[in-house]
This record gives sequence, C-alpha cells and structure tokens, in this order.
Amino acid sequence: MRRLLLIAALLPSLAFAADLEFTLVIRDHRFEPAELRIPAGKKIKLLVDNQDTTAEEFESHELNREKVVPGKSKLPVFIGPLAPGRYPFYGDFHQQTATGVIIAE
Amino acid sequence: MNPRIAFAVVLAAFPLCAAAFGPSDYIYLPAVTYGEHEIDFKSGAWKQKSGENPLSASSIGYGYGVTQRWFTELYSKYERPGGETTHFDAWEWENKFQLTETGEYPVDTGLIVEVERPKDRSEGYEVRFGPLFQTETGKIQLNGNLLFERHYRAEAALPLQLGYQWQVKYRWQPKLDLGFQGFGELGQWNHWDPAEERSHRIGPAVFGKLALGNRQAIRYNAAWLVGASTNAPSHNLRLQVEYEF
Repeated sequence: MRRLLLIAALLPSLAFAADLEFTLVIRDHRFEPAELRIPAGKKIKLLVDNQDTTAEEFESHELNREKVVPGKSKLPVFIGPLAPGRYPFYGDFHQQTATGVIIAE
Repeated sequence: MNPRIAFAVVLAAFPLCAAAFGPSDYIYLPAVTYGEHEIDFKSGAWKQKSGENPLSASSIGYGYGVTQRWFTELYSKYERPGGETTHFDAWEWENKFQLTETGEYPVDTGLIVEVERPKDRSEGYEVRFGPLFQTETGKIQLNGNLLFERHYRAEAALPLQLGYQWQVKYRWQPKLDLGFQGFGELGQWNHWDPAEERSHRIGPAVFGKLALGNRQAIRYNAAWLVGASTNAPSHNLRLQVEYEF
C-alpha cells in the first residue's frame, strides 16, 4: 500500500507538455473567435487573452474548466484530449455576450 | 502504465486498506478560483454501529481566492453529540494551494493546510495537511487526497494520524453530476491500526452548480455514506452548500 501511495505522490512528475496552442481573445465582453475548431484527441493549450479592462471567467461544464482571467492579461487554460464534438463555454461575468463553442474534430 | 490508470488504481486501493475526522468532512479539490468570495455551509451526521449516540456537526465559513494559487477560508464549527444541544466547537483556518495548472499534467495537484482551535483548550491546536490530486478522463473526474492530522499543545497528544478521501464524479449536467465518495482513517501515519480498527465509509454522491447570474452561484455536493469496516459509522449523511459571489 505504501508503494501505491508513493506512486500517487510521484504521478505529477510524469508530465507531458501541451502540443498545440490556440488563442482565444476576450474583447468587449465577447470571445473571438466564438467558434474555435481544434483537433480531437490532442491536448490543447488555450491562451485566453483578455483585452478588456475588467476580469472575465472562462467557464465550461463540458470542458470541466473555470478560470478567472484578470483584465489586460493572458492566462493558459489546458483542455483535452477531447472526443469529437461540441463543447460550449461562456464568460461567467458577462454571460449575455461572452459565449462560444469549441469544436473538436 | 498510463498515469491516469495508475491514479485510478491507487484510488481503488484506498478502501481496501482502512476515519478521521468528522461527519461533515468534505472532499478537498486542488483547484483555486482567483477573486472568488464564498460563504460555505457544511453539515453532517453519523450513527455508530455500536449503538452509541449519533453525532452531528456543522460549520459556516467565509473564503476568498486571494491569488490564482491560494484560497483561504475561516470557519466557525459546531457540534451536537446525541442527546445534547448544539454548541460551538472550534475555529478553523483553512488554506488551499493549487500547485499545478488544471489539465496541464496528467494529474492536477494541490496542498491543503488547516489549523483548528477547539473551544476545549485541552485539545490544543489541531493541524491537518496533505496533498490533493485530481485527474479526468472524458466526463469522469477522479479525486484522491491524503490527509495527515495531529494535535499540538494538547493534554492527550496522539501521534500523526493518516486519513484519506476520494471521489468519482460523472459530469452529467451542470445542475446535477453523479458519483461516489469515500472517506477513511488508517491510524498512525507510519504504523497503521489493525484492519478491524480502521474506518472506511463509502457511498453515492450528487454534485451541482446553480447559476444565479451577476457572478453569483450556489454550488452543492452531498453524499450518503455507509460504513465499509467494523469500526466505521454505520451511516453518514453529509452536505456542503457554497454561495459564490
């Protein structure tokens, strides 16, 4: 059992880097592009570039991600590997305008 | 071996080996939400197999995401042993540190550090700490935590104790996810109790988030746990409700 616990502690060191990067811009409380196509089955680094002066929260139940991006800043959101399909996301602070979808194909 | 599979194997092995801590305990998650305020209510009750009086406990706290990697929360804890009235039990200061970016590595990691000051000063200070792990595959999210606990400046000091928690969550709908949770205590961290004295409890759980708009939401999770070992409570109902703003 103690060996299993040791394995659990060491698992994070078995890291691998994201192999593809995409940028998602937040401007005027909208995502650009609002529809982002990515390859299925790949790990993706989504760089969320918030060009507004106010914070926004990138959120998606389908992607299991929540990330607050302060105004005038960029932060990575790692997603995938995803099965082919549509994965809606939205900005929790401006839900009326900040909506989008990632299409894995 | 795929790291996610290895992590799942480790989680599966926990219930086979051996409870700390209290009926309202909840599963710590490694992620921190920066700038989020939270009012957190937790409650739970358990019934012992031996026929002892049931015990219920609850807490209310306020927490804040200070940075992208640090969340801090202050609790006021209450307890109601069977046959008695509810009374104040302790203050608790909880600090959670997110160690890795969610999804960047096969397993997300965090660290929990809690300091509790019981009303009963003879209990000294209770310190609980431990690593937090999470991974996901498709719509399944797995969590597993190791918890170490010790009282300092207590009249009856016990050696460092080891406990664990785990959960499996199927992300069905934003308002209702389904899964299982497990909690257990093994005894002294480097010299576990005999198997019959360890405590394991396991059961179905529900989770969800109700968006209220204007940056506000209610998040909940609840579980009905049953004792999986002779030394565990026979039944344990636990609930956590958070108001996020």
